[in-house]
Amino acid sequence: MPGERWVQVRRGGVYLLGSLLLGVATVLALPLLCVPRLARLWADWHRDRAARLLGRPLASRPAQGASRRRAATSGTSHALLWLPVNAVTGGALGLPALLCVGNIVVAAIATPLWWAFAPEARPRLFVDVPVTGWTTALTLGPLQILLLTALAYLGFPPFARAHARICLAVLSHSTNEQLAERVAVLTRTRADVLDAHGAELRRIERDLHDGTQARLVAIAMRLAVARQALSDNPRDERFLEDLLREAHEGTEEAMTELRDVIRSVYPPILADRGLDGALTALTTRCAVPTRLDIGDLERVPPAVEAVVYFAVAEALTNVTRHSHATTAGVRVSRAADNLSVVITDNGTGGADDRRGTGIAGIRRRVLALDGTVDIDSPAGGPTTMTVELPCGW
Amino acid sequence: MRVVIAEDNVLLSTGLELLLGRAGFQIAAVAEDAAGFLTAVREHRPDVTVVDVRLPPSFRDEGIRAALQARREYPGLPVLVLSQYVEQQYAAELLATAGGGVGYLLKDRVSRVDEFVDALRRVAAGGTAMDPEVIAQLVQRAGDPVAALTPREREVLALMAQGHDNNAIAERLVVTDNAVHKHIGNIFAKLGLAVADSGHRRVLAVLAYLNAGGQVGDR
Repeated sequence: MPGERWVQVRRGGVYLLGSLLLGVATVLALPLLCVPRLARLWADWHRDRAARLLGRPLASRPAQGASRRRAATSGTSHALLWLPVNAVTGGALGLPALLCVGNIVVAAIATPLWWAFAPEARPRLFVDVPVTGWTTALTLGPLQILLLTALAYLGFPPFARAHARICLAVLSHSTNEQLAERVAVLTRTRADVLDAHGAELRRIERDLHDGTQARLVAIAMRLAVARQALSDNPRDERFLEDLLREAHEGTEEAMTELRDVIRSVYPPILADRGLDGALTALTTRCAVPTRLDIGDLERVPPAVEAVVYFAVAEALTNVTRHSHATTAGVRVSRAADNLSVVITDNGTGGADDRRGTGIAGIRRRVLALDGTVDIDSPAGGPTTMTVELPCGW
Repeated sequence: MRVVIAEDNVLLSTGLELLLGRAGFQIAAVAEDAAGFLTAVREHRPDVTVVDVRLPPSFRDEGIRAALQARREYPGLPVLVLSQYVEQQYAAELLATAGGGVGYLLKDRVSRVDEFVDALRRVAAGGTAMDPEVIAQLVQRAGDPVAALTPREREVLALMAQGHDNNAIAERLVVTDNAVHKHIGNIFAKLGLAVADSGHRRVLAVLAYLNAGGQVGDR
């Protein structure tokens, strides 16, 4: 598309001229930029600028808040190395761009206005040809504009990309560094997953042990005593009746407890209806009218589905209990290997991790799957909670 | 009264057979999956059916879908759905089918034999049997108007929504029919509902009200 190319030419030109200026600025501010902190900020800014030009993500994919900051901050040595490289590449690639643009401007002025200049100061085209009459002005002027525009058309985008690539090559972590960082993050989140998994198993074990199992023992004891009491002489009907009633009530309580345990392990509606159906059930059940907007999710791992379900359930409980909202919305969408869940309400805001265990619980479950939770809830509202989960394994 | 049961778990289906047999029901067939259930319904034309939500092969919501399918084929076919857990969505889907004769109960309720049999007879007669937990969730969600009812009126509302008629409500609460009648009048006035005739249509009106989160009329 020619139109698109021109956009690239314009962006490239602006980028190259900017790079020249930044290169000059680097040289002028060199003593100041040798302060490591400033050098890193300077380098980060350049890196983002280069990444934007190349259409690459600004920083490596964030795993958690802390590692996101670390990933985005260049090492000091890289940042210091960037100072001379910036000065040289900015000059080498930016200067031709400046000459090109400058001479187009000269030609544009010289062609119609050559006569306005004093004879000894007549503008020159094609470097050294003075314009002395309309013939030269009307032939060489447009020709210079045409040639230089063609040069810019061909040269600006690749030059700009070359500069951006050099910038990223200097400032990006080496593949090894990136891998090391990723391994560190994965090691930590894997440990979190195992911790969370272990805690979950212990909780289930405790619930079953203290609840259901204990109740079954109590029921069995009552039934055993009842069997013995059957052969008593005289038979105490009242006593038998009490034992059977207690045993019966015990089984009902055991069933209720067991149901709660099952629900906390994996919500049955999720197993029955999948994420779509389960979220529909959740949102229709919510006391605050809630709109559900669910895109094409393809296949989502069950662990991710369960976390999404719990997060939405917990968030909607918060909406109902604390937000005073009149409407809420849940949007679930997938882009490549990233599942994004956005829960909004028009309530009074002020939601944070300190209020109740709900948000902390969501965060724990989401982090365990290497995801992120962002909460935007200014006092007075509205509240937006964004959960991002990787789901491409 | 002839019953068709859809339940894949042998422990539970034999339990149901034992229990219903003793209560005077005749077990026409026990199906182990949805297809078997539909075949049995077509073959035996039972007076009432008991269906488990989860059935083979995928153990998801085949039971609900089979029940809805059976009711499409035989409008008004009495269906009592049993589930290990309460999901309002399922209750709403069953109630949305035309005609009366639907029930949705937790499996736990089976152990209260009298109440279970009573619910099954009610469904067979074209009435409604909604699990108290479904109703409790709906009542809790309905918010302010329902909160303005007296505790006794809320009890009456819940029993009414579960599908009990005035007699049964009076019996349960140990009050006179007249008192129940008065409570119901007050409830309908406070909630702004038109006094519908008794029976299934009244239950549907109350459930529609609760389902809409305390708004008059359908959503």
